[in-house]
Amino acid sequence: MKREIVSDLLNEKLIHYKHRYGLNVYILPKKSYQKQFAIYATNYGSNDNEFIVPGEKQPMKVPEGIAHFLEHKLFEKQDGNVFEAFSKLGASPNAFTSFNTTAYHFTSTGNFYECLDILINFVGDPYFTDKTVDKEKGIIAQEIIMYQDNPNWRVYFNLLKGLYHQHPVKNDIAGTVESIQKIDKDTLYRCYETFYHPSNMVLFVTGDIDADRVIKQVDDYFDKKDMSKQGRINRIYPDEPREVADSVVKDKLPVPRPMFLLGFKGEAVQKPSQVILDNLILNDLILDIMIGPSSELYSRLYEEGLIDSSFSAQHIEETDYSHMILGGESPEPKKVVDMVYQEIEKLKNKPWDIEYFMRVKKKKIGEYIRHFNTLESVGVQFVSLVFKDIGLFDYLERLEQINNDQLQTQFNNFFDDYKSSLSLILPG
Amino acid sequence: MNMEKIDLEKGIRLFVLPTDKFKTVTTSFCFHRDLDDDYTYNALIPAVLRRGCEGFTTLKDIQRHLESLYGAQFSVGVQKKGERQILRFSMEVVNDEYVAEQGLLAQSLYFLNRIINRPVLHEGRFIKSYVEQEKENLKNRIRSLINDKIQYSLERCVQEMCRDEKYSRYVFGSEEELDNLDADRLYSVYKDIVRSSPLDIFVVGNVDPEKVKLLLERSLSMERRQIKSIPITPYKKLQIKQKTVTEEIDVNQGKLVIGFRTNINAQDKMYFPLLVYSSILGGGPHSKLFINVREKASLAYYAFARLEKFKGLMFVSAGIDVDKDEQTLDIIMEQLNAMTKGDITQQEYEGAVNSLINSLKGIADQPSHLIDYYLDNSITESNITLEDYIERIENVNIDQIVEVSNNVVMDTVYFLTNKKKG
Repeated sequence: MKREIVSDLLNEKLIHYKHRYGLNVYILPKKSYQKQFAIYATNYGSNDNEFIVPGEKQPMKVPEGIAHFLEHKLFEKQDGNVFEAFSKLGASPNAFTSFNTTAYHFTSTGNFYECLDILINFVGDPYFTDKTVDKEKGIIAQEIIMYQDNPNWRVYFNLLKGLYHQHPVKNDIAGTVESIQKIDKDTLYRCYETFYHPSNMVLFVTGDIDADRVIKQVDDYFDKKDMSKQGRINRIYPDEPREVADSVVKDKLPVPRPMFLLGFKGEAVQKPSQVILDNLILNDLILDIMIGPSSELYSRLYEEGLIDSSFSAQHIEETDYSHMILGGESPEPKKVVDMVYQEIEKLKNKPWDIEYFMRVKKKKIGEYIRHFNTLESVGVQFVSLVFKDIGLFDYLERLEQINNDQLQTQFNNFFDDYKSSLSLILPG
Repeated sequence: MNMEKIDLEKGIRLFVLPTDKFKTVTTSFCFHRDLDDDYTYNALIPAVLRRGCEGFTTLKDIQRHLESLYGAQFSVGVQKKGERQILRFSMEVVNDEYVAEQGLLAQSLYFLNRIINRPVLHEGRFIKSYVEQEKENLKNRIRSLINDKIQYSLERCVQEMCRDEKYSRYVFGSEEELDNLDADRLYSVYKDIVRSSPLDIFVVGNVDPEKVKLLLERSLSMERRQIKSIPITPYKKLQIKQKTVTEEIDVNQGKLVIGFRTNINAQDKMYFPLLVYSSILGGGPHSKLFINVREKASLAYYAFARLEKFKGLMFVSAGIDVDKDEQTLDIIMEQLNAMTKGDITQQEYEGAVNSLINSLKGIADQPSHLIDYYLDNSITESNITLEDYIERIENVNIDQIVEVSNNVVMDTVYFLTNKKKG
């Protein structure tokens, strides 16, 4: 099954192919680019810590950080590590684990099809031994410790711990130095077999690439394999209360001045993709209007010296949770937070300026178009959308249709009875 | 794809790269400054200029204008390249063909000219509140360096190593200088920048060079005077007194940084072998550091080598347990010694060459990387194309790498650790 998805707005064409084992393959041809980029991802991240393996009855609970550990270990094979094979072809491979996905990727400038072959093969062929698993614990422990020394990382994870009681999003993606000690090769294999079935995965490639050749390559690889269909993976997430776990989380670190993040917790319920897409777009626009660089509030905060260029705001929208986050460094975080709360009340009670809305919308359109300049950034964006069942071009098409009234309604709903948490890092 | 170089008025060079592969047009104005006693003033000026200009006198006016240009990306910045500061003003706009708006490039040049040449003034000086706020912001930025321990440790190693050289100056200036800032001097440094600094203007996107030239001639309003030439960064240092510096702060992970003098700069014919040398040592997963420090000894998550091509420096950096500094240093020095002996496998050599070529080719896919590449060429007064550059890398042989390795001298070992250790 092969089909084409076209965007006239972007002047781009995406080719979709679904293999009979369930793997979804997407090709975005980019003529005249020197680079090729491929990303092979599974719908499996640090949040998937409890699940029922298809065909079994009992749920299984695994140590925190195992998805990330698995990502590290897939690079190692019996005859050395995969980096060598890529490096011979001049390609640079890498991988990342997020709350919801694990992705393996490479950038090449030639030898693309050979590189793609290595990618599909190494992700498809785990090799774990007690010895190699043990060795990795030292490397990952250093990675965890490195992040602990990073105040931006700390203020962020402290906030998630403030926002959530139960949901695993509050745990560090790499786990803790203690939790990774419990990881062994058998558990790694179990997680691998559960989450790395082609039907739970997606392959996205872009560059000056022949789509049919990619499809044939995927067919050749999987046709040799004797695979059975996999049933649904039952992922178990604990019930998450509407309230936040802690309204203020404080920490002391050797920072030159206070750092803060204010988070607004959305409802932790499963949503259909249409709702997720609308929330993504609307809440991005809301943040711009409320506290974006052209807003009244931003100007006031900046001119009073309460924020500087370290300030940023973003909205996170996943299938089963969402939150809005804003913050940076500030001499008086509490004052900023109070001004944000006041602004929310003000915005609830007055009609929104239509011209302002149009401008911010224009800006978002431009940003989305610009983003198609960079292969890597399109690929990563694609992966973040595909497991939410949102297409690459959907964002822009839906954005064009959004109007000011919808936006204001969304704002009033989101901030009707909001639950927020403040994470503070104080110098000390 | 070829960069077209056009000389405009005094000391202004225009570089245009016409290509239809990008969805945007990127413009960068780069002023070249010596890293002299004005360096803190140089760093502050772009931050003050971005606050307002004639027609767009506040941050909010500017932001609203950018939004109406389909989210044009406007940024200012300051970079250090050897003992030279680059003051950069950039703008990226969507190509007209994708949006219902024409003339975005013209708007973009018009806007950049306003920001640079028509700042809002009060009695012939910058607005006091803008200067005060940006001074404070810059001070905070300097202090915040410590929040990124990898960058902090690299910068500290530079400071210790180049103590008596201009290169030790931090790109964003010094806190002390900011505390004693002289407003009159700030304005005269600004005037000096626009009047007498060499200026490179880069335009990358679906544009016609002749048209860009005309647009610039129409929109630029600079009063240029005698152009100052910038001295070449000294990069040779043969008399070295090796030193070890340990700094204790509250950290969980130790950061080991070793500074080396390569005595080779980007204009040297041995620069290409040096690039390959440094990549074999610590330029990625194919490198000796990655394999020996990380994969074999399990000591670190990251271990890399990095070159400063104008000052001829190389830094090796690794994040390790606080009590593993000696062991790590030994392994690192073993790798350097191995290279001096020509102990380089075919696999390491190929991995390094291939990885360099891969990144070089990739430059052509990113407007900002293209601009940086040609900016470096402008500094070294070289016309080398990406294709020739790649060829030079391909022609590097093991003998040259060994020759290079004999030029590399250790200068400073810096270790950031916690108090428990001492």
